[in-house]
Amino acid sequence: MTRRNFLRTTAVAASGVAAMAAVLAPLRELTDFPSLDQFLQKHYQEMTPPEIEKVLERIAREVERQYGLRPHVRDLKPMNGVEFVYCLNLTRCVGCRKCVHACVAENNQSRSPEIQYIRVLKMPNGTFDMEKADHNYAPETVPQEGSYFMPVQCHQCKNPPCVKVCPVKATWQEADGITVIDYDWCIGCRYCEAACPYWARRFNFAKPSIPKDKLNPNMSYLGNRPRPHGVVEKCHFCIQRTRAGRYPACLEVCPTGARKFGNILDPESEVSYILKNKRVFVLKEEIGTLPRFFYYFDV
Amino acid sequence: MSADSKASIVLVALAAAFLALIEVFRSDLWGHPEPLREVPLVDAAFTNTMTVRTNAAELIRQNGDTSGQDCYACHDKAKPPQVKVDEQGSVVLPEEHNDLVMQHGRNKRNDHCYNCHDPANLDHLLTRDGHRFKLVESSRLCASCHGPTYRDWEIGIHGRVSGHWDRKQGPVTKQDCTACHDPHSPAFPSIKPAPGPHPLHPPPHARSPQPSFGH
Repeated sequence: MTRRNFLRTTAVAASGVAAMAAVLAPLRELTDFPSLDQFLQKHYQEMTPPEIEKVLERIAREVERQYGLRPHVRDLKPMNGVEFVYCLNLTRCVGCRKCVHACVAENNQSRSPEIQYIRVLKMPNGTFDMEKADHNYAPETVPQEGSYFMPVQCHQCKNPPCVKVCPVKATWQEADGITVIDYDWCIGCRYCEAACPYWARRFNFAKPSIPKDKLNPNMSYLGNRPRPHGVVEKCHFCIQRTRAGRYPACLEVCPTGARKFGNILDPESEVSYILKNKRVFVLKEEIGTLPRFFYYFDV
Repeated sequence: MSADSKASIVLVALAAAFLALIEVFRSDLWGHPEPLREVPLVDAAFTNTMTVRTNAAELIRQNGDTSGQDCYACHDKAKPPQVKVDEQGSVVLPEEHNDLVMQHGRNKRNDHCYNCHDPANLDHLLTRDGHRFKLVESSRLCASCHGPTYRDWEIGIHGRVSGHWDRKQGPVTKQDCTACHDPHSPAFPSIKPAPGPHPLHPPPHARSPQPSFGH
């Protein structure tokens, strides 16, 4: 190789490398690389109890670093003889959307961009045609003459299409009927979001942002711990509350008491009474998803 | 042209192309995607779990300010107040009770004070079949007419509950009828709804017409 050749080739190679570096420059904005522990973490269902303990400790540490608040992260298991069912009284719902925001506060959803598990549909009286639904209604006061309101959230189907389509088994149905997501296993392909006939799943397009003073420190692994960017989330019947025997947040905030929740395997429970005595129906029954979320009317 | 000079031309062109690329990437010719709209935080009023009104029974239980419920501050114990009625047969409220809206039952079917209040003791309530209840037991007065609703309330499927669905793990709290219903005008009040969802980007028809290269 001549000297001239060498210089020429080196100059071209150097500018090529520099151009490559310029292309990759946006990578400098990347932060939050997973730690080695997190990278090697196993699927939730394959972890042994001590391994889960270690993961819970890591999550608590990360939350404390990010939010300056030591959370209480637990991994509550399904209770024996319990299958959860939700009932919603359409005669009583006034469409105030308080459930939407109580859910956001309880479950540490991103405030901006906004992620909400519950969508309240305003429907004209006399139809169940979803094409006629409006979720952007903004009147001065509710309820409104001539329409009714229908909140929709995850129906915790017994035959869940979202679980079937997940290519990595990051979402599955638990013994108490709650379909959960392992946020550390989700690859963000959004197949489940497309498969859900109830539009119940939400994708974190951006890094979730929660004001530090709004963080709910009562967390669970499969429930409301802060989610990373690029994963799917959805209603989990407030797993951190309901597996400890409490009512979900949307139920407790409802000003009219339209929302009812309980154990369908207990014949004395409120939901058992409703299913036995009220006119109950499920949304999109014909598609065979067998929801655990029932709507009913009284009067 | 010799093979050597051909190679030089190619190499110089390549270097120039690379240098141009560096400048293109450095100056961010494509630009960043438009920043996301900042969504305002929702008013804390929409997440509080209070009932829509405070009722006398709860005030009495909490030892709150019950001066508004002290009938005998104005009335005379010995003289049951007379209820005035106009030509249509509806009650004419005295000025002191002007804050009451008499809307119990359609077509003014239940607007007489002594349908529920005990004329002999204004601190008590009196059902049509003669049972007396204190103000804290007002729900049982409601039950004397609204049987099916009271049954549903007892089971826990009418009205608000909070606490524990699993009674073995903790108690459940139920509300009195009057925590949500004004006894003089029981229809559930109209309330202001919380703001609707803010989508990630405005819907296409609401966007500005010029094309955007952000996506």
